[in-house]
Amino acid sequence: MNLYLFIDLIVAGLVTGGIYAVVALGLNLQYGLMRIMNIAHGEFLMLGAYLTYTLVRYTGASPLWFILPMMVALFLLGLLLHRLIFRRLAATSPNAEVMEARSLIVGFGLMFIAQNAAQLTWGGGMSGQPYLDEAVKFGEVTVAANRLLVLGVAAAASLALVLLLKRTLLGKAVRGMLQAPLGAMLVGIDTRRLHPACFGLGLALAGLAGGLLSMVYELTPSMGEPYTISALIVITLGGLGNIPGAIAGAVLLGLVETFGTYYTSPSLKILISYSVLVLVLLLRPKGLFAK
Amino acid sequence: MKQGTLFLIAAVVVATALAALPAVASPFVQSMALTCLMFAGLAVSWSMFSGPTGYLSLASSAFFGLGAYCTAWGLAYLPWPVVVMAGGLAATLFAFLIGLVVLRLRGAYFAVITYGLGELVKHTITHVEKTYAGTVGRVMTDTPSSNVVYWTVLIIALLAVFTYVRFGRSRYGHALRGIGMDEERAATLGVNPMRVKLLGFCLSAWFAGALGAAIAVRWTYIDPNTVFNPFIVFQTVLISMVGGPLTIGGPLVGALVFSLLSEFLRLSLPYLYMILLGVLLIVSVLYLPNGLAGHDWRGTWQKFFKRKKADVQVTEQRHE
Repeated sequence: MNLYLFIDLIVAGLVTGGIYAVVALGLNLQYGLMRIMNIAHGEFLMLGAYLTYTLVRYTGASPLWFILPMMVALFLLGLLLHRLIFRRLAATSPNAEVMEARSLIVGFGLMFIAQNAAQLTWGGGMSGQPYLDEAVKFGEVTVAANRLLVLGVAAAASLALVLLLKRTLLGKAVRGMLQAPLGAMLVGIDTRRLHPACFGLGLALAGLAGGLLSMVYELTPSMGEPYTISALIVITLGGLGNIPGAIAGAVLLGLVETFGTYYTSPSLKILISYSVLVLVLLLRPKGLFAK
Repeated sequence: MKQGTLFLIAAVVVATALAALPAVASPFVQSMALTCLMFAGLAVSWSMFSGPTGYLSLASSAFFGLGAYCTAWGLAYLPWPVVVMAGGLAATLFAFLIGLVVLRLRGAYFAVITYGLGELVKHTITHVEKTYAGTVGRVMTDTPSSNVVYWTVLIIALLAVFTYVRFGRSRYGHALRGIGMDEERAATLGVNPMRVKLLGFCLSAWFAGALGAAIAVRWTYIDPNTVFNPFIVFQTVLISMVGGPLTIGGPLVGALVFSLLSEFLRLSLPYLYMILLGVLLIVSVLYLPNGLAGHDWRGTWQKFFKRKKADVQVTEQRHE
């Protein structure tokens, strides 16, 4: 096969994988820490994308300016949702399995609300705001600049999160909660404050992914759904609460999807994603890297 | 025993009234009754398995769609009752095959994989139809009259209610509830969890498949997006959860309320209806975990108006 084509596909796979990593890291924190199976995770990506798009539309400035404020807004939304819904859900669920199932239903409820509210606010028509869509040449290989930007920001965000978790005291507390929820409470980690913060962080990360996507792709109210599925596949591949595993899983899935759709047909993309999900859940429910 | 007789009499009266409906009601009312019956049947069949076990199945759309496609493929060659039976059996077969593996998973993974399998079936059928038949949708000709469809759906719904009651009282029903409370304990006490779960799952699938097969002709034109619509399973789960999956009255009343609500609101205010559905879903999960019918109303009453007395009864576990 042609070397340049191969490099093209690798780059495309890495860009997809980078987005998946950012989305999946947020979901992994929520699920790993609080057993919140947030099926509406992709909807927050959609909200982030639409918010960025609207701000760019009204101000005409570069979308990069709005990514951070938009993440803060979604973080606050996360705190609010945790306070209103998930705190009570955790308090009234007798065990983790019930918590998972009930949070899943709540997630579907949030999904209905977010998608249809977006439909009412922004309309169903596709809208896009391409940013930096000129080609960059590396010898024979051409890559769109915005895709490189997406890849760069996604990689930086993933790296920042890993460093935050590995190098800081706060990260240590979060890793402690991931490994042993009860033990973490016993040694004095304030789960009542860290849980809402981590939930909000998950939303902010989804929003970041959405903001990045708004520079490249068109927006629709249901654009988030495939990313939720991908994030579920990624955290299953990587193993629950396993942050490096999730990043590896995201890159792997991005590459499998890109090569898979190139060699079969683009209409099979969803089929490939779901097949990977079903196979992973059946064959390695504890993740690829589980011992 | 007396309560049983009363229930039987009430059931016969309601069934007769419903069966006579086409003779007296306008086509609009009949069509609405058909929607009600469909969701009642779906909700009861869902509650049959997911109520007692607590396994949150999102496969109803897949069962329903498989049944509908059996009709689309077989209606031209087979008599109507056979088509409906075959639709149910196709769903049962599918439930059996996936049940062998997915029933090992629990909690959110079970829910996610049943949903994923439903989507997988939908996209597979879309792809197969596109590749081999050249089109995505199918038009059905020679469909039975709307009265026949109505009576068929009525019979399936009544059968579902009957099965729900009988199955719930049988040893398998008790075993399923035991699994829902504590699967390991049930296994220790001599229940084969896999076999019982598989039986419940397949039984519940038959009704969803048969309903899909019977209802499919109502649309005359079907495509995977109509019959594998995730909305079907969400509405079904919502009806059962809000009504109360552990009672027979809960899903039935829920089906009536939500079918009327969706019939009136979905056409005029579709997005607002979905938002309302989302809010209701969240509120019911948070405040009515056992549904309207299963809720301890007396306890709530006491909690609000007789605080002093109720202090002893409030035993909320905190898990944070």
